[in-house]
Amino acid sequence: MTATVESTVSAPRRGTGRPAAGLAPALAGTVTVGLGGAAGLLGVLGISGHGGGVRLGWLLPLAGVDFAVSATAGLFMLLVGLVAVAAGVYSIGYFRTSGASTITLAVAPVFTAAMLGVLAAGSVVTLLVCWEMMALASLVGVLSDHHRPAALDAGRWYAGMTQLGFVAILVGLVVLSASGGSGDMVLLGRHAGRLTPTARNAVFALTALGFGSKAGLVPLHVWLPRAHPEAPGPVSALMSAAMVAVGIYGLVRVDVQILGPGPRWWAVAVLGFGALSAVYGVLQASVSTDLKRLLAYSTTENMGVVAVGVGAGMLLIDYHRPGAAAVAIAAALVHTVAHAVFKALLFLSAGAAVAATGIRDLDRLGGLAVRMPATTILFAVGALGASGLPLGAGFVSEWLLLQALIHTEPGSGTLLAVVMPVAVGVVALSTGLGVAAMVKAFGVGFLARPRSPEAAEAREASPSMVAGMSFAAAACGVAAVAPVVLSAALDKVLGETPGVGLSAAPSLGVVLRLPGLAGSVSPAVLAAAVVSVTLAVVVLAGRAGARRRPAAVTAPLWTCGAGPLSERMEYTATSFAQPLQQVFDVVLRPEVDVEVSHAGGSEYLVERVRFRSRVDDTVELRLYRPILAAVSRWAGWVRRAHPGSVHLYIGYGAIGVTVVLVVAR
Amino acid sequence: MSASAYLSGVNLVAGGLLVLTVAVVWRRDLAAMIRLLALQGLFLGAIPVLAGVYHRDAQLVVVGVAVAALRAGLFPRLLRARLRGEPAEDREAAPLVTTTASLLAAAALIIVAYVVAAPVVRLGPDGPARAAPVGFAMVFIGIFLLVTRRKALSQVIGLLILDNGIDAVAFVAAAGVPVIVELGVSLDVLLGVLVLGVLAGRMHAKFGGTDLDELRELHE
Repeated sequence: MTATVESTVSAPRRGTGRPAAGLAPALAGTVTVGLGGAAGLLGVLGISGHGGGVRLGWLLPLAGVDFAVSATAGLFMLLVGLVAVAAGVYSIGYFRTSGASTITLAVAPVFTAAMLGVLAAGSVVTLLVCWEMMALASLVGVLSDHHRPAALDAGRWYAGMTQLGFVAILVGLVVLSASGGSGDMVLLGRHAGRLTPTARNAVFALTALGFGSKAGLVPLHVWLPRAHPEAPGPVSALMSAAMVAVGIYGLVRVDVQILGPGPRWWAVAVLGFGALSAVYGVLQASVSTDLKRLLAYSTTENMGVVAVGVGAGMLLIDYHRPGAAAVAIAAALVHTVAHAVFKALLFLSAGAAVAATGIRDLDRLGGLAVRMPATTILFAVGALGASGLPLGAGFVSEWLLLQALIHTEPGSGTLLAVVMPVAVGVVALSTGLGVAAMVKAFGVGFLARPRSPEAAEAREASPSMVAGMSFAAAACGVAAVAPVVLSAALDKVLGETPGVGLSAAPSLGVVLRLPGLAGSVSPAVLAAAVVSVTLAVVVLAGRAGARRRPAAVTAPLWTCGAGPLSERMEYTATSFAQPLQQVFDVVLRPEVDVEVSHAGGSEYLVERVRFRSRVDDTVELRLYRPILAAVSRWAGWVRRAHPGSVHLYIGYGAIGVTVVLVVAR
Repeated sequence: MSASAYLSGVNLVAGGLLVLTVAVVWRRDLAAMIRLLALQGLFLGAIPVLAGVYHRDAQLVVVGVAVAALRAGLFPRLLRARLRGEPAEDREAAPLVTTTASLLAAAALIIVAYVVAAPVVRLGPDGPARAAPVGFAMVFIGIFLLVTRRKALSQVIGLLILDNGIDAVAFVAAAGVPVIVELGVSLDVLLGVLVLGVLAGRMHAKFGGTDLDELRELHE
């Protein structure tokens, strides 16, 4: 019996263009690390309230460039700095082994600098310029392997989505600063009340669309599972960990802090799209067989959870529950930070595995635990964080979010009473399925026997790559057991958020306390308990076992008569996800094709069974394909107007001149 | 020179410009069109010369002489040099519409020009600005020639008539332009003519003709 599973097969990644000289990767990596360190410093300054304004009038004609780091920006700069340091150290070894052109090497530092520029921007113009630089730099990163059709396709999708998002943000912020009478971000926060309700709603819709598409929220996520896997390891870590967080920053800074408490539908929209993203992202992640694609969908899921937190916070502000609102927004921010560190670690270690084997397909990976022990352990740390279990980086934030959601007093209003339990369900479902997805990625990708010769010949990542990943893993550990380091920053950010009770800010010490809400937990004590109990069990069981252990006998394993054990008998990613795929058949709509060929014309003797399964993005098929087809039809009509005749073109010019003259009189 | 003599002089010159422009539309022979264009350049140069004599401004006279030298001397020479390179059958303008239709269209464009130029005429209803519609008519007819003529050389002639029209409007509406501006504009047009001439030569070498209708697809 044969079971072939069709999925994307990726060739070994090769650098394109002129390979860089020996020192270039080290130089680029050092610059990125330096930028990350500076970002951390600036972030701390911003959080402590010393992120004062710097104006460079000469840098940009007419508008000038303004930098002023608010506490919110400071928190996100700290986050980008962490990711940049990890990715920078990692990139030295990564690009040395896999080879890269100078342009690809330049992407990481430029991209990091642009993201920091977006966060540090003190005026709308500076923010927009840096935003576009960030988009272009990451696009170059996605296209660094542009000889492959998949990378080109990803580049086209990414370019289209990111530019459309930019247009939405541009129009939204221009309307905002025109109505607010200033381009300064701080002044805008004070003057936002001058906007008419229509303008406010329009600005909210446009900016939420733009920032949401950057954060990868459904249905604007389609670029994410294409672009993130195609970028080289360090760049995809920067994109998936840091850039999506910049999208969340925009949402929090502009839509929550500057536009201030808005109508109820804003909160419901953010919460709704967040919930949709969380569930849809985790479903796609749990059935995906491409390692990096799985991680990209997990990003959509986590950003969805963050958006649920932000939306819940906005809704609770609207219902005058400052305490619960503070907890919800704090949960969203902590989850953004936690996601950044564990997703950076996951993408870096996945990048190491892909660089060592040249394979992204989980069904052909496996057995890396023996050959790449450090990478495997580090991936496990990241996967634990992504699962939202105690000891993992994502636990604290998910717990905070659930606390904010479940502590709705009865009689608070119908909308709150309906929305909150649904949100609890969404968070619970996404966490549960997230565990399945991470178990699949780790178990199938790294454990058991290798399923392909490439995986069997994998070699451990270079020391600098391991160092970069270890840094991210250490950050994961801190986020998991000592969230207190974020406490000061959270207080300041909540202080910048209108409508949130500062006195009700959650305290993230050894024991997490939520003033105003009943509920506390201590991740550090929990972690210590889990570790000590595990150690005790191992030690005691080892002692007890050693006393009564019989002498070892070497014998072939019984395999039901099917011959020696082989990798063909292992669980694959497809078979692991099959039950989930079955259950969520209606949403995922997988294309399953079973082909049975019979031996000798007898219907009882089977010679070969061919099984193909393919899960496409339903949103893309149902929503984007019709739109693209319509645009293409329309473009066909427009194309008739320019058939290539020079005379016709001059005629258009003549008609234009005449119209202008007639109108001008 | 009296004011009435100056005004009738400008009106006479403007009438001559219009007649010459219509004549260019009427003729098919490229050599004849170039002759008409040279004559038009001479008429155009006459406007600033008249203004210079009337206002006793030597600078305007210099501008007029320079314009006449450029448009009646240099441009036609360049065009004739280009024309000699063309085979005999390509020495016709090859319009896309018949001559009768072209003349009717020219008449319609002159009416449009009088409608459109009304605000410019209002600037000085008693001065030379009354002749501004002629300049507009030349611009429109120049564009019309660009749109309806097939050969590259006749396109250059259309462009030059368009530019003569712009110059004419400037001369009658503003009583001349500063020397430096006029020099700049003329240099610009000269470069344009040179580039178009080279381009026509390249087209001829590459495609064996200068028919723009054959330029519908991009080639390497």
